[in-house]
Amino acid sequence: MVGDFTRQLSKRADAFETFSATGESLRVQFENDRLTEIRQGESSGVGIRAVKQGKIGFSYSSKADEIDDTAEAALRMAPFGKPYAFQFAGEARSPHTRVFDERCSKLDVEKMVRLGTRVREVIKSVAPEAMAECTVGGGVSSSRIVTSNGQECHERESEYGYMVAAKFAEEGNFLSTYRYRGGNQYIGDDEVLAAAREAAEEFRLARTVAPFAAGTCRVLFAPTALSDILMPIGASVNGINIARKTSRFVEAMGQKLFDERLTLLDDPWHEQGPAGGLYDGEGVVTRQRAIIEKGVLKGFLHTLSTAQMCGHQPTGNAARAVSSQPMPGAHNTVMAAGNDALADLYKQAEGGLCISQLLGTFTSNFLAGQVSGNISLGYLVKEGRRVGRVKNCALNVNSFDLLKSRIVGISREREWVGSEYLPWLLVEGVTISAR
Amino acid sequence: MKEQLIPLAAKAGADYCEIRLEDSWQTSLAYQGPDLENVQESHIYGGNVRALVNGCWGFVTFNNLDQIEARVREAVANARAASKLASDRSILAQVKPTQSEVKLDLKLDPRKVPLKEKIDLFGAYNQRMLAAKGVTSTNLRYFDKFSRTRFASSEGAWLDREEMDMGMGGSAIARQGEVTGRASASEGSRTDFSVFRNLNARFDDAARTAVESMNAPVVKGGAYTVICDPHLAGVFVHEAFGHLSEGDNVADDARMQEVLKLGRRFGENYLNIWDTGQDKGLRGYLAFDDEGVPTEKTMLIENGVLVGRLHSRETAGRMKERPTGNARAISYRFPPIPRMRNTCIGNGPHGKLEDLLRDVKLGVYALDAYGGQTNGELFTFTAGQAFMIRDGKLAERVRDVTLSGNVFDTLRNITGIAGDYHVQDGAGGCGKGGQMPLPVSHGSPHIRIKDVVIGGQ
Repeated sequence: MVGDFTRQLSKRADAFETFSATGESLRVQFENDRLTEIRQGESSGVGIRAVKQGKIGFSYSSKADEIDDTAEAALRMAPFGKPYAFQFAGEARSPHTRVFDERCSKLDVEKMVRLGTRVREVIKSVAPEAMAECTVGGGVSSSRIVTSNGQECHERESEYGYMVAAKFAEEGNFLSTYRYRGGNQYIGDDEVLAAAREAAEEFRLARTVAPFAAGTCRVLFAPTALSDILMPIGASVNGINIARKTSRFVEAMGQKLFDERLTLLDDPWHEQGPAGGLYDGEGVVTRQRAIIEKGVLKGFLHTLSTAQMCGHQPTGNAARAVSSQPMPGAHNTVMAAGNDALADLYKQAEGGLCISQLLGTFTSNFLAGQVSGNISLGYLVKEGRRVGRVKNCALNVNSFDLLKSRIVGISREREWVGSEYLPWLLVEGVTISAR
Repeated sequence: MKEQLIPLAAKAGADYCEIRLEDSWQTSLAYQGPDLENVQESHIYGGNVRALVNGCWGFVTFNNLDQIEARVREAVANARAASKLASDRSILAQVKPTQSEVKLDLKLDPRKVPLKEKIDLFGAYNQRMLAAKGVTSTNLRYFDKFSRTRFASSEGAWLDREEMDMGMGGSAIARQGEVTGRASASEGSRTDFSVFRNLNARFDDAARTAVESMNAPVVKGGAYTVICDPHLAGVFVHEAFGHLSEGDNVADDARMQEVLKLGRRFGENYLNIWDTGQDKGLRGYLAFDDEGVPTEKTMLIENGVLVGRLHSRETAGRMKERPTGNARAISYRFPPIPRMRNTCIGNGPHGKLEDLLRDVKLGVYALDAYGGQTNGELFTFTAGQAFMIRDGKLAERVRDVTLSGNVFDTLRNITGIAGDYHVQDGAGGCGKGGQMPLPVSHGSPHIRIKDVVIGGQ
């Protein structure tokens, strides 16, 4: 049927790309100590880019059997669309394979509910005053991209993930400590329960408030907060901002912009990474690439369109849902480990802060390097350890400066934060505002 | 459809069962710099079944209506499985099952405006910003979405609801060397495409502000008296107090019930906060929520005292309070949860901006917002633009102004509320529980707050 359809479409469109996807998922959620939802979903959709008279139109439908109507709408949009200045992906096969875990297609509701119950018990046993939260879920999906240039690729993906949290709310002391991880393989209950214990132990630590005065100090960013600090780099290597010349990295390829200890890789195949794939959202074969290598700018993130606009080679970084056109995006971002033991970094952060959570940083002016936000979970560091939570503090840093000249150390230890695999980072000279 | 769905829900074998079907068509435009990067039509079609068995929920989504009976069975089976293992039970507040149809009541239907005309209109705004001296790039997006939602429940409720939603936001970006400035203009409506016309001055202002912001110094960090314009104050009341008022934050947490005890004083007598679904034309307008409950104007703070909160049937049932028509779902893929509609601070007795400025020796006037975030107690917002206040007068422009604070302290620290209430809709929306962007509005007059932490150099 798809074959008939593409033959028909190739008669009417100068070029085209179809992206179809289906998926099934199951999720169990506990909130405020109780089971609140079991959610089971099926999803489907088709997105079509069609070229007519040198311009691209796009249309999407969540009804997989509406493929003809969707193509018709894409053709109707085409005269108004942007010029087709690049070429849809041509035939190419990825030489790699990616794990598909069948267990993610056979998730057991009752087993997941029992796991959530055990998570609650673990959190309560460590921190009785905390309220427990737990979400576990996963599923399988399948996507297929066909282009008029001969590419026809198909991927099956499996996914599974968890989030566990210990929460508390009283005036002047709202607190949430959490752990989460997602991947493309089933995650055993032991890891989820260990994460629950860690979150609860951090909760107990955070219940102690430590005094802290505004000023300039060393800050140890935990991986969860380092993710925020790296956002200006992500925005600045994004092909759209390169093509539009809104990034200050436009002319900086090959230049040393950061401390030589900073290396960031884009890895579409990391075996633990939840993101990525063998092909990107346009059917381009993906590859591992350095974005920053020993402080030197090595790569941008491009779709076929932004690569063409910049005169660069495609990079296989088209990120998209089936309902939208591709935009440049990273797969799994892997930051190189440092040479420092985390315990040593704590010692070197004496009198400073360890920050785990920042709030509202997404509103910052990332293209200027700015990262601003409330320190929603940060600790005073004394004698090589976190001694208590600091309250009512905010920070405003320029990541470009911070990562160029203020790095004191980078840990050997790393953790997953969504699709980023990051170490702890110790920097100096950070100004903290406080009330 | 009604004759099919109500009996299906009623015979599901659940204590309560509802079926919601969505059929939506959306047109979207997006400019990046000079190019019309995206022109798109989308059709979203799907449904869900939500079943309650022995106080536990099962929720199933689907795209294929042919399999609806199987989906009902799955939702009930999941709810039953949960009920075997769960110790806690959900209770639904009782409502009179509605039998309603909601038809569109439009001033200018965006579907009657040719696509070419929309492209010309928004393309001209985009080009206007690009042509301004110092502007290096722009982005602008517009959408209109027509939805028809059909809702049936085992209690016999039937709601056939049509909705229109439109939004537009454009930004100018100015960059020189390593310094970047940006500013934006936005508009939105439920009923009238003509709100998007005649906006040249707003886009000229955005372009000028982006360039001026680029050339402005970074604000010096510290605690200041801050005057927020109606837009930023609206974002504040949405993020900082509206989310706190959502019933699911409170219903299961005895400590939160103590924090948010009705009758407790939160601010001065002149502080009034409400959430309403009844402001026709605004993006936060909603005749019925996604549980078929009619919306209302819900007072949250009256004369400084907490008097209400925002409920779904479930959170109202758990707290033995009244449903307020706030159960909303962003699409058929999600269950309804307590969400805001149009959240507002009411006019106060302190005149105009000039009157609020008068007593401020050193402060910051913060306008517009790039959004914000809260964790219940703490909030962070980034102002779209800002000026220092010196000796009661507006002084130099500053940039990178991020406001942080504690919700409870900040409400207590509101020392002035002007009488110039205003709502400015846009293209964005509210995010919660993975459901984003939900159309909402927020409004306020100018407000003055003492002791706000501003992150800066």
